Amino acid sequence: MAGISLKNITKSWGAFVGVDNQSLEVHDKEFLVLLGPSGCGKTTTMRMIAGLEDPTSGEILIGERIVNDDLPKDRDIAMVFQNYGLYPHMTVFDNIAYPLKVRGTPKSEIAPRVNKAAEQVELTEFLHRKPKALSGGQRQRVALARAIVRTPQVFLMDEPLSNLDAKLRVTMRAELKHLSHQMQITTVYVTHDQIEAMTLADRIAVMKSGRIQQLGTPEEIYNDPANLFVASFIGSPAMNLIHGTVKDGQFITAGGRDVMKAGKGNRDNIVLGVRPEDLSIVDAGTGDFDVPVYAFENTGESVLVTGQFGKQRITAKGGRHVRKEIDEVVGIKADPDHIYMFDAKGGGRLDL
Amino acid sequence: MRDRHLKYVLVLPAILVVFATAVWPLFESLRLSFYFGKLSRPNFPQDFIGLENYTWAFLEEPAFWNSVWVTASYTFYTVVLTTLCALGLALLLAPGGKLRRGVQMLLIIPFAMSPALIGVSFRFMFNPEFGLFDAFFGFVFPPLADISWLSDPTLAFWVCIMADVWGWIPFLTLVLIGGLASIPRDTIEAAQVDGASGWRVLKDVTLPQLAPVLAVVIILKSIFSLKTFDQVYMLTNGGPGTATQTLSHYVYFNGLKYSNIGYSAAVAWLMVIPMIFLTYAYAKFVFRKREA
Repeated sequence: MAGISLKNITKSWGAFVGVDNQSLEVHDKEFLVLLGPSGCGKTTTMRMIAGLEDPTSGEILIGERIVNDDLPKDRDIAMVFQNYGLYPHMTVFDNIAYPLKVRGTPKSEIAPRVNKAAEQVELTEFLHRKPKALSGGQRQRVALARAIVRTPQVFLMDEPLSNLDAKLRVTMRAELKHLSHQMQITTVYVTHDQIEAMTLADRIAVMKSGRIQQLGTPEEIYNDPANLFVASFIGSPAMNLIHGTVKDGQFITAGGRDVMKAGKGNRDNIVLGVRPEDLSIVDAGTGDFDVPVYAFENTGESVLVTGQFGKQRITAKGGRHVRKEIDEVVGIKADPDHIYMFDAKGGGRLDL
Repeated sequence: MRDRHLKYVLVLPAILVVFATAVWPLFESLRLSFYFGKLSRPNFPQDFIGLENYTWAFLEEPAFWNSVWVTASYTFYTVVLTTLCALGLALLLAPGGKLRRGVQMLLIIPFAMSPALIGVSFRFMFNPEFGLFDAFFGFVFPPLADISWLSDPTLAFWVCIMADVWGWIPFLTLVLIGGLASIPRDTIEAAQVDGASGWRVLKDVTLPQLAPVLAVVIILKSIFSLKTFDQVYMLTNGGPGTATQTLSHYVYFNGLKYSNIGYSAAVAWLMVIPMIFLTYAYAKFVFRKREA
C-alpha cells in the first residue's frame, strides 16, 4: 500500500509540452481520476507513473521511494490498458497468471490465485479460451483479472471502459467501483468521460494542456468549479455560459437586452455560468427573466428547454411532465446559490 | 460480346511471354531429364533412357551428393545466421527500437546490390595479396595475415556464407521490422508492467506474436539459399575443388560445361522436391485464414 507523489513533473517532446511542471499527491488507498479532453496530458502522466514514459524533469515517488530510474517491472504496479493489452497467443488462464509467473510465484500458488481473480470478475468458465474468442466486455474482465491477481502497490487504469458499448460501460463501471472498494488499493484512473470520473473517483484532477486545472472531490468539482474550463467540461448537459457585463449588481447579456440580478459592482467581460439543472422553468413574468423557446427536447426522464437569451442561448432542465412549444415565452428562474462568474479573458473564477 | 472477349485478348501477350519463358522451358526440361542428351553431339536429344539420369545421380555420382551436402549445410547456416542477424537488427530498428533514422537507409545498400556484384566484391576483399580482409586481419591479428581465404575449402565455404548473409540481412530485416510494427504496443507494455524483464518480454510476448512473420522469413530464405548460384559462381566458382559447389552450380556445370543437358535437367528437377515443400509451407503461412 502506498501513495504516489509527482513533484514538478514535466514531459516534453521537442517544443511540445505534454505535461507542464505538474505536482500531484495521490493518497494511500485513494481512487484518483485524471479527467480531461484528449491531448491534455492525462495518459502521459499515468504512463510516467507506470514507467512507460520517462519524465523530462521532476520526481515520481511511489510510497517513499523515488522510482524515476526504476523499470516498470520494478515499480510494483498493475495496469489496465485501453485496448486491454492481452497476450493473444495465451489462454485467459495464462494471461491472468502471467504477472505471477514472471515474478516467480510457486506453481502451486498460481492456479488458486488465478481462479480467485477470475471468480471476482466472473470469468471462470472462459479460462481455457484465447482472447480472440471473447467479447469486448469479457476481454476487459481478463485485463482486470490480470491486474488484480497480484496485490500491487498501485493500480493504473487507462480509459479501461472506453472500448465498450454504452450499456456495458455502465455495468462495468459499477463492477469496477465495487471491486475497487473491495481491494482498497491506490488507483489512478484516466478517462475523458466525466460521468465515469464523477461516479468512480474519491478525487478528480481535471487536466487541460498539461496542467491540472482543479483537484477536488466530485462534489467540489461539480459545485465549485475553479475556472471556466472545469465549469464547461463537467456536467451534462453542459453548463450555460453567457457572456455579458455586470452593472450595479445586475448582469446584462452581451446582446444588452436581458437583465438578471447577479454579481455586484461593475465589471466588463464576464461569463456567467449556471447549470441547466439549477434553472427552473416557470410561467412568463414570474422568473428572473422571460425567454422565447428556441428548442424543446424531451429525454424521457426530464425535458430540456432552450431559450434565446439576448444573442445567446440558455438551456434549462425541467421535470418530465413539462411541455412547451417553440416560440412560446417562458420564465426562467435561477438558483442564486449556484450562479458562477468567470473572467471572460483569463477564464478564472470571479468572486462577484 | 466484344468486351467480354477483349480482356482475354489483352492478357494474351503476357500469357504467351510467360508460356515461352517459363512454362515451356519447365516442361521441356522435364522431358529432357528422361533423355540421354548431350548438346555437343548431333541429333540432340539422343536417346530416351527413362529414369536413368535420376538413378545415376543417386547411385553413381559422389559429386551430386557432395553438392547436396554443400547446399544443405549452406542453406542451414545462411538461414540461421541471416534470420538471427535480421531479427537482432529489426529489434533495434523497429519503432521504439534503439537505432532508427539513417541506419535504416544504410541498411538498404547491400540489398540494392546484385548477388553477382556481391560475389565479385567479396572476391576482391578476400584476395590474399591486395584484399581488404587480408590487410585488416594482417593489421589487427598478424597470424591471420597470410591466409588465402578462398583456396581453403572450409574457409571458402564460410566466405560464401558470409557474403550471402551480408546480402540478405537487409531485406529480411525490413520484413521483420514490418512484423514487429504490427505487434500491438499494448501487449509489450502490459508485459513490462506485469513484471517481465526485457528478455522475458521478447521471449514471452514479442517472439510468439512475431512467429508467423518469422516463419515466412525462414521459409523464404531457405528457398533463396537452396537455389544460390550467381554469388557462388562469381566468388569461388564452386571451388576450391567442389567445396562450395551448390546444386545450382552443379546443374550449371554439368549442363553448360559438359553439355550433359539431360542429366542436369534431372538434377534440377530433383531440386524441385524440397522447393515444393517449402513453397507449400510458405503459401500456408502467407495465405492462411486469419481466425477472427
